[in-house]
Amino acid sequence: MIEQLLQECLRSGPINLGELVVREVEPGRFLIRHWKDDESQQKLVVETNAIAVLEIVRYDEQGNYRALKGAPNLRTGWELRLKSVPEVRQAIDYFYPGAFSTWLAFNRGEITPVDLRQTLTRQTGMYRVTQRLTGFQAEDLAGRFCQSRSCCLRTILWTIDGKAPEKYLPRSKFDPQADQLEEQRGELSKDGGAGTPPYRVPFLCVEACNLFVAEARKIVKVHSK
Amino acid sequence: MVEAPDVYIVPNFISEGYFTAKVIPRELELTGPITIKNQQTLKYCDPVGNDPRMTDLLLHRAAEVVGDAPPHDTSLVIVAHGTGLNENSAVAAKRQVEAIRDRGIYPEVVAAFMEEPPEISEWANLTTQTYVVVVPFFISDGLHSYQDIPVLLGIQSGNSAPASQQDVFRHNPYELRNRKLYYAGAIGTDPMMADIILDTVDRFDQQHD
Repeated sequence: MIEQLLQECLRSGPINLGELVVREVEPGRFLIRHWKDDESQQKLVVETNAIAVLEIVRYDEQGNYRALKGAPNLRTGWELRLKSVPEVRQAIDYFYPGAFSTWLAFNRGEITPVDLRQTLTRQTGMYRVTQRLTGFQAEDLAGRFCQSRSCCLRTILWTIDGKAPEKYLPRSKFDPQADQLEEQRGELSKDGGAGTPPYRVPFLCVEACNLFVAEARKIVKVHSK
Repeated sequence: MVEAPDVYIVPNFISEGYFTAKVIPRELELTGPITIKNQQTLKYCDPVGNDPRMTDLLLHRAAEVVGDAPPHDTSLVIVAHGTGLNENSAVAAKRQVEAIRDRGIYPEVVAAFMEEPPEISEWANLTTQTYVVVVPFFISDGLHSYQDIPVLLGIQSGNSAPASQQDVFRHNPYELRNRKLYYAGAIGTDPMMADIILDTVDRFDQQHD
């Protein structure tokens, strides 16, 4: 089902997910690139196996480990040439684990975003203290830790105490149709990057991640001292 | 993400413990070894660390790193995480120590832990032989094996560079506290792990049919 949908999407044109552009160049020949490389004339390192993605996603341009795969710091300079839809699906899952399937489930109306309170309430062990995170601290953390420009490209679907954490984040951060890379793209198009935009697959966040919970823990710890 | 009617969940964990007993079942909403949810059957397997071949992997790593050091003058230290949160965490490492002792290759085999006694920093008091081989009973090389354990062993200072920028395994042996210390990589990076994962699935079926 997932592969079928992916095939249908690619038949009708290139797709964009996070920082990726994926296209079927001709039947049975697929190409995945970083969007910044998509129209550049630079020579790219060609990879022909989805497993190569695991190395591409590991470190950013500066050599730092990418703990958060949704961060807008995927390195450039590579090109992935694949021969089947299952391989494309595998590659996308290595770049953005679960993202494509989450979108499919979202389309089917099977996604139930998890309120931050629920996420924090079920924490145990060293993360149990995150239950003490206040609503204000949570909003502030979301504003810093989830913003699209330098932190995470996912569209937030979860809430804090029933409300979207929009105090320090733009409305577009909660809109699955919005382009989270808009600002960055704007800067690049000044240098001539243009063309027909690919179909944008919503890149969704249905529940605050472990890294968010870990940050929440630090905040509670600092304030309890 | 997974559409098959039968789903095997294999924890890539070195031991049963807090995560396999509490966190994974909690996060995946499992009710036991078999959970039926949304027309899918979720089968929760044992952690890979329970596989009988772990003993061979540990011995293989030790032999690899130690080179020409004579086994009869060598102490083997199996280092593991251990945690006050679950008493089973250290059990797997202790079980491995017993199994390796029974093979009679090294005169001294001991376990040491990051978060419970006996602690890794005590390695010199826990061992008596000239040569000491330390093998991390861990699934992957990461913060613990690159940074935390070397600091606890005393082969690295606390404020050293991050993991990706150095190679603690290339400087063996370390001359320290009148011993020659050899430090190995985590066993979970061995290619045999793929077979072990498949065997873990087979064992689940044998136990639950």
